[in-house]
Amino acid sequence: MKRKTDVPQGTLALMILKTLDVLGPLHGYGIARRIEQISRDVLAVNQGTLYPVLLKLEQEGSIVSEYGASENNRRARFYRLTRDGRKQLQAELRDWEQTAGIIGRFFELKAEDLS
Amino acid sequence: MRDLRRFLKRFRNMVTRRRNDERLKEEIEEHIALQTAEYMKAGLPPAEARRQALLKFGAVEAIKEEYRAQTGLPFVETLLYDTRYALRRLRKSPSFTITVVLTLALGIGATTSIFTLFYDVLLKSLTVANPGELYRLGKEARCCYWGGYSQENEYSLVSYELYKHFRDHTQGFAQLAAFQADDPLLGVQRSGGTESAQSYPGEFVSGNYFTMFGISAYAGRLLTSTDDQPGAPAVAVMSYRLWQQYGSDPFIVGAVFNIDNTPFTIVGITPPSFFGDTLRSEPPDFFLPLNSETLVPQADAGDLNQADQYWLDLIGRIKPGAEPTSIEAQMRVELKQWLLSYQSEMSANDRAKLPEQTLFLRPGGSGITSMRAEYEHWLHILMMVSAFVLLIVCANVANLMLVRGMQRRRETSLSVALGAHTSRLVRQALTESILLSLAGGMTSLVIAFAGTRLILLFAFPSARGATGIPINASPSMPVLLFAFGVSLVAAVVFGIAPAWMTTRVDPIEALRGVSRSTARTGALPRKMLVVFQAALSLVLLAASGLLTAAVHRLESQRFGFLQEQRTIVRIDPGLIDYQPNQFTTLYDRIRDSLSSIPGVAAAAICQYAPQSGNNWATSVWVNGRPAPGPNEDNVENMVYWDRVTPGYFSAIGTQIIEGRSISEEDTATSQHVAVINEAFAKKYFNKENPIGQYFGRPELESPRLYKIVGVAQDARYLNFDFDKPIGPFFFLAEAQHDVVPKTGGDSNPGSHHLHDIILVTRPGATVSAAAIRQAIVSVDPRLPIESIGTLGEQVSNQFRQQRLIAKLSSFFGVLSLVLASIGLYGVTSYNVGQRTTEIGVCFALGATPAQVAILVIRRALALVAVGLALGFPVALAAGKFLGSQLYGLNPYDPAATLLAILTLSFSTLVAAFIPALRASRISPSEALRAE
Repeated sequence: MKRKTDVPQGTLALMILKTLDVLGPLHGYGIARRIEQISRDVLAVNQGTLYPVLLKLEQEGSIVSEYGASENNRRARFYRLTRDGRKQLQAELRDWEQTAGIIGRFFELKAEDLS
Repeated sequence: MRDLRRFLKRFRNMVTRRRNDERLKEEIEEHIALQTAEYMKAGLPPAEARRQALLKFGAVEAIKEEYRAQTGLPFVETLLYDTRYALRRLRKSPSFTITVVLTLALGIGATTSIFTLFYDVLLKSLTVANPGELYRLGKEARCCYWGGYSQENEYSLVSYELYKHFRDHTQGFAQLAAFQADDPLLGVQRSGGTESAQSYPGEFVSGNYFTMFGISAYAGRLLTSTDDQPGAPAVAVMSYRLWQQYGSDPFIVGAVFNIDNTPFTIVGITPPSFFGDTLRSEPPDFFLPLNSETLVPQADAGDLNQADQYWLDLIGRIKPGAEPTSIEAQMRVELKQWLLSYQSEMSANDRAKLPEQTLFLRPGGSGITSMRAEYEHWLHILMMVSAFVLLIVCANVANLMLVRGMQRRRETSLSVALGAHTSRLVRQALTESILLSLAGGMTSLVIAFAGTRLILLFAFPSARGATGIPINASPSMPVLLFAFGVSLVAAVVFGIAPAWMTTRVDPIEALRGVSRSTARTGALPRKMLVVFQAALSLVLLAASGLLTAAVHRLESQRFGFLQEQRTIVRIDPGLIDYQPNQFTTLYDRIRDSLSSIPGVAAAAICQYAPQSGNNWATSVWVNGRPAPGPNEDNVENMVYWDRVTPGYFSAIGTQIIEGRSISEEDTATSQHVAVINEAFAKKYFNKENPIGQYFGRPELESPRLYKIVGVAQDARYLNFDFDKPIGPFFFLAEAQHDVVPKTGGDSNPGSHHLHDIILVTRPGATVSAAAIRQAIVSVDPRLPIESIGTLGEQVSNQFRQQRLIAKLSSFFGVLSLVLASIGLYGVTSYNVGQRTTEIGVCFALGATPAQVAILVIRRALALVAVGLALGFPVALAAGKFLGSQLYGLNPYDPAATLLAILTLSFSTLVAAFIPALRASRISPSEALRAE
């Protein structure tokens, strides 16, 4: 069985932002489901860890929350990306691509490249 | 930016105590419901679906915890919580809190008040612009006058000529100012005023003095270079303090004051924070331009225009970027050039010493530091002593805290059993310590302020002038910071051991009864604290014993003159315009007038009475021997001397051992005579009979100036070198004037300005100051009286500093003794309480009460014995250190050390006696039942 690694908080935050960016306003469970679908088992256990991160993002002003009706017609809290959040996402994306690019090049490194 | 926004949100949540618990609960419920629905859709039965959903969600409590941590600021919240908790606990045991706070306040207050002095005297800069740019001449302060063309070790005083030479040639200084090294008393009277002349300290300063310091006038203007020109109108600047004494009268600026009978116009007032160039107990109240020195010649200043009269200190502000070392090098060259240009006027000895003449520049931001040099050692000693006391205080408080920790063991172990973190418990304990310490620190400020005031009052009781000692007892910012820092450090020092103890609690103890515990946790640290306290107390007691003994020895030494029934009236005849030959008549009339006061047995006048600290010195050339060469013409070979009227020796109570004293038969025209002391006879005549021999002075180029007519018993005139035997000294007759061979004039007219009248009162009689003043006014109303006091006061004033130090250290010693005894008492009685059962068993087995009491006392004594053994070498080292600081102190004084040991042992007995008594009264049956 594959060991479930703890999701780094920054990564989880990024996933939340991207999910909200793509899908628009969602409640906590919805976000958890999407992340689960895409990342398979990152959130297979400990779905609850999502909520402290949501609170942190809201305090930072990247997302806002308001009440809405869920699928089963219950009152639920919906999260929506703000303009700040979108900017943050773009910035993080750039950073990520840059880092990934560098790491990628290192992984492709062969001995003759350095000779 | 985002972090800031988040912080503000969290801060607001914390302050408003907003809890998002409700919101989270809602969200969790919603989440679980949705997940359960999902699982049910997949076909799971409802109960299983909900179980799976909960499993998937994770540990709800942990998430709640994290969520809460995100909401507010947990660190601050815990701190606030701990503080509230500690406050509540401290309120619950007020006697403990008050004891600890007061003990700490004593310790921190003592340290802070000494630090206030330490800071003001040793660390503070002058209140001037950019003190870092100031440099002064001289490694050490030299007071206050020097003559000739050579100075020992270094040129640190300059003449007006030499000042101008440096000022005009040294490029590196933006401003170079000179000012009088001394601040003599001036006779001051407001022109047109009705009150009599008052004495205030004043100082001659160069015109750029204030410009150099970069300060501006509080009112009016300060001196400028144009004021300091020959023939410029006589102007002066007054100190802020004196101006306040005149009721801050705005018309003072522009008013005319008669200073030493010369009219000066006051042009301005110095700013309140300015105390002059030197930290001294009597800062100047008047600043006069150097060139006005010719208007009011001072006996202890040089003549302005004499190149070899050095009476000025130098401080300069260097140009930005200038290198002090290169300025110093340049000034050395300038000094040599200047000296060479006076080569023809130099004495042979000065010429021989010319190559070695040099000078040094030193940072001058704190001004001339004679006071600093004088008090530095003492302040260091006091600082150490107070630090010792603070350590003992900390040990005591730590002891109390440990007992408190013991009493709370059960509570603590319950907390640990319930899962409290050790770090959290330590934090709680430390919070309590810090709170106590800060409360102690705050209370200590009151003690520190009062203490500093008291010390200043004892140390400088009779400051002349309006300004008073420029040391402020009220706490300044650095002092406040110091007290705060010391409180924190103390909190850690006394709080760390009890805090550490809490981590050593076994949760299983919560389940057992505490009294069943066999482990004596905390006994060792507490014993160590007592040992430590005993050791420190021994050091302090021994040191204060040594100091007290030394002061006693100083005060009870053989002075060679009588102090009882002697009154000293200090006058300044130099300020009235008498011809040199008129003084003898003046003195005769003063003596007659004073002798006729009822109760006065005799009156005589001398230039300076013993222990006045002003005697003049000269080299001596004994007839029949070669004149002293350059190597003998130095401070070690200087002989001090005094000029006296007839009847002086019987008035001062010094016995004439051989020959006769100076009498009425020694007139201006008769053979010039001298009376020498025993040390003089021994040094220069050894076994020969000195009577009838001649001696003279090399600067008057004659070995036959004076015929020795008598030898007087050695007497201590100088107020320094108490550790050395009394040196050679001679006395000359007032009526006889030294004659310069070349010119035929008087070589030392100033020595005929006799300053001290010695009045001998009849046994039991008291003579009022008013009667003395009246008698002198009847002779000449213009003659200023500077002071009237007893000779005994004058002598004991010399040891004021030492006495103060001895008193302070005795106070600290007793304080430490009391604290150590309390600590010992606490430990002993706690141990007795712990060992109740054991003692009960002893009784049951047939021990007598006396045996039990001895057992308890023996344990206490054993602890103190270890402390004594540890403290003894430290006490010896401290004594040795003090011996190097104070003359007359015997570092191996067995009496003082023994007394300290006995005192400490005795207090140990007293402290252990009460618990021992209690132990001896334990009833065996009760003790066994207490189990």
